[in-house]
Amino acid sequence: MYDSGNDAMRILVIEDDQDAAAFLVKGLNESGHVVDHAADGHDGLHLAETNRYDAMVVDRMLPGVDGLSIVRKLREREIDTPALILSALGEVDDRVEGLAAGGDDYLPKPYALAELLARLEALVRRAKPEQAATHLQVGDLQMDRLKRKVTRDGQDILLQPREFRLLEYLMRHAGQVVTRTMLLENVWDFHFDPQTNVVDVHISRLRSKIDKEFEHPLLHTVRGSGYRLDEHG
Amino acid sequence: MPRLLRTTAFRLSLLYAALFSLIASAALGFVFWSTSSHIDEQIDARLRLETDVLMQLFRSRELPGLLETIQTRNRADNAGTFVYLLSGPDRDLLAGPLTSWPLDLDASRTYATFTREQLFEVQPYSKGHDESIRVLVTQLPGGYRMLVGHSVQDAKRLQAHTLTVVAVAIAGILSVALLSGAFMGWDVLRRIDAVNRAAGEIVHGDLTRRLPISRRNDEFDALALRLNVMLERIEKLLVGMRQVTDHVAHDLRKPLNRLRSRLEVTLLEARNEEEYREVMAGAIADADDLIGTFNALLSIAQLEADVDRDDRVPFSVSALCEDLAELYAAAAEDKQVAFRSEIESDITLNGVRRLIAQAFSNLLDNALKYAPTDGTIEFRLRRERDAIVATVTDNGPGIAPGDRERVLERFVRLEAARSTPGNGLGLSLVKAVTNMHGATLVLADNSPGLHVEIRFPHALPRLTSAA
Repeated sequence: MYDSGNDAMRILVIEDDQDAAAFLVKGLNESGHVVDHAADGHDGLHLAETNRYDAMVVDRMLPGVDGLSIVRKLREREIDTPALILSALGEVDDRVEGLAAGGDDYLPKPYALAELLARLEALVRRAKPEQAATHLQVGDLQMDRLKRKVTRDGQDILLQPREFRLLEYLMRHAGQVVTRTMLLENVWDFHFDPQTNVVDVHISRLRSKIDKEFEHPLLHTVRGSGYRLDEHG
Repeated sequence: MPRLLRTTAFRLSLLYAALFSLIASAALGFVFWSTSSHIDEQIDARLRLETDVLMQLFRSRELPGLLETIQTRNRADNAGTFVYLLSGPDRDLLAGPLTSWPLDLDASRTYATFTREQLFEVQPYSKGHDESIRVLVTQLPGGYRMLVGHSVQDAKRLQAHTLTVVAVAIAGILSVALLSGAFMGWDVLRRIDAVNRAAGEIVHGDLTRRLPISRRNDEFDALALRLNVMLERIEKLLVGMRQVTDHVAHDLRKPLNRLRSRLEVTLLEARNEEEYREVMAGAIADADDLIGTFNALLSIAQLEADVDRDDRVPFSVSALCEDLAELYAAAAEDKQVAFRSEIESDITLNGVRRLIAQAFSNLLDNALKYAPTDGTIEFRLRRERDAIVATVTDNGPGIAPGDRERVLERFVRLEAARSTPGNGLGLSLVKAVTNMHGATLVLADNSPGLHVEIRFPHALPRLTSAA
C-alpha cells in the first residue's frame, strides 16, 4: 500500500525496544524493503560501517552508543548513509540536535508508519544526484525552475509563489508519498501540526490548477498518508 | 540552651570575646607591669636622693648633726613614709625607732625590701605589719651605717587598684560579649525555628504556607522572600500537576472508551474486509487524537517547567505571520469565511519561532472552527510604543466574560464547543507559550465573537521568578 512500486530499499534499523523494532521491521518488510536490525549502539555502528544501506533509522536513546553519537561517528568516517533519527523526547531542540549531529531527518515518537516510510523514501531519493536540475518533469507536467514557469501539455499554468514551491517539492519527490507534515516542514518551514486541514486546501487549489482541465490526474491522495505526484495513477 | 551554645552567632561572639579579652589583658598587663617597675624606680631614686642629702649633712656637720636630723625626721614623718636608722661601729643603734640594728645589712649601697615586721618590733598581725618597706643601706666613714627606708604601700595600693580595674574591665567585656552573642544566637534560633516550623507544615502537605518575613528587610528576609517565591512556583506547579492528572484521567477515558467500543462493536459480527479496514482506520484516527492530546499536554508541561530556557532568538515575526496568514487564508476561503490580515512589516521578536507559530496557529484554528459561514477572521500584527501586539478575531459565538479565565485551563471545553473536534488544550498551550515569552494573553469581546490579543513587551525581560 505504501510502496511506491519499483525499487526496494536496504534499510538498517537501530532500535533497542524489541516491540517497536519488531513492528518497524515488519512494516518495512511488508512495504517491500530489506531490513537489518541492531538492538544496541555498538552492533548498529558495526553494521553501518561494514555494509551498504540505502538509509538507516536510528533511535536516539540506545544502550552502548547513543543514536546521535552513531551518526556523528559515521559522518566522521565519511559514511553518509542517510539517517532518520527517532526520539521519544519530542522537543524542538532534539530535532535541531539531531540534524546538527549529521542526521538527515527527525521524527518524534510515537510516529505513524506511513510518515516514517514517506520520509525514508524522501531521504533515499534526495541522496541521489540529479538534484541540481533546473528542469523538472512528471509526465506532461514541466517546471522550469530558473524561469519559474510551469506548463502542462504545452499550456502555461500560473501559480502563486507558494503553489510553485509546493509543486516543486512534489515534483522532486514524484512517485513518492509525501505527508502533510513533510509539506508543512519543507514548503512552509512550520514544525508543528495544525489542527485544521490547511495543507489539504492548498493541495486542492494546486490540483485544480494542474489537473482540472486534464483527463489524466497527476496529483493523488494517498489515504492515511498524504499525497503523491505520479504520472501513473 | 545547648542549641543556643551551638549557634554560629553565639560561637562567633564567644570567640571574639575571648580574643578581645586576651588582647585587652595583654595590653593592660603590660601597662600594669611598666607602671609598677616605674614606681619601684622612683622609690629607689628617692631613697638615693635622701641618702645623698644625709651624707652631705654627715660630712658637713659630723655625727651630731646627722643624728639630730634623723631624729627630727623620724618624728616629723608621722605618715610613716620615710624611716631612718643610724648605727655605730658596734652595731648599736644611735638613732631610729629600733633599739638595735636589725639585720645583716653591712654592704654599702644595698637596696632591699622588707616588711615592717622584719624591721621594727611591731605586734604580729597588727595593722600594717606586712607593709613593705624599701630600704637603702649606706656605710658611713668611721664604721657608721645608715638605713633610709620608704614605704611602698601607696604604690602597692595603686597597683592593686589598677589590677582590679583591669580585671573588672575584662570581665565586663566578656560578659557583654557573651550576652550579646547569646542574644544574637537566640534571635537567629528564633527565626530559624519559625522557618523550620513553616517548612515542617509544608512538608506535611500545607502548600499554601509561606516563610515568615519580618520588617527588618535583612538577609534572612531576603532569603525567606526568595524561598517563598520558590514555594509559590512549586505550589503552582503541583496544583497544575494535580489538575492535569485529574483531567487526564477524566478526559482521556472518553476517547479511549470510544476507541474500545468502536472495536468491540465491530467484533460482534463478521464483516467484510472493507468494513474492517474502515473501522481500523477510524481506530487509528482515534489513537492519533489521543497521541495528539498527549503531545499537547507534554508540550504545555515542558513549557511550564522550563521558564528559564535560553533558546530564544530574534526572528522576523512579520514573516512568520505572513506565512501563517497565507496558510490559513486558503482554508478560510474554502469555508467561505473572509480572512483579513494586517501585518506590519519588519517586526522582530526575541522568542522561539516554532512555539509562537504553534500558538498563533492554535488561535487561527479556533477562529476557523468558530467563525460562521460568511463570517470574518482578522489577523493583525502591529508595533506599539511598548509592545508588539498580535490579535486574532472572529465573529463566532465568542466566550462569555465569566468563562474567559477558565478556558485557558487544560481540558476546559465550553458547552458550545462540545460538538466541534478538539482536545481543550489549544488555548492552554497558547497561554503557556505567552507566559514563557513574558507576554500577556487577553481574551475580549469582539461583539459578536472572540478577540484574542497577545502583547509581547518590547524589551523582552528575562522572566523573573516573581510571577
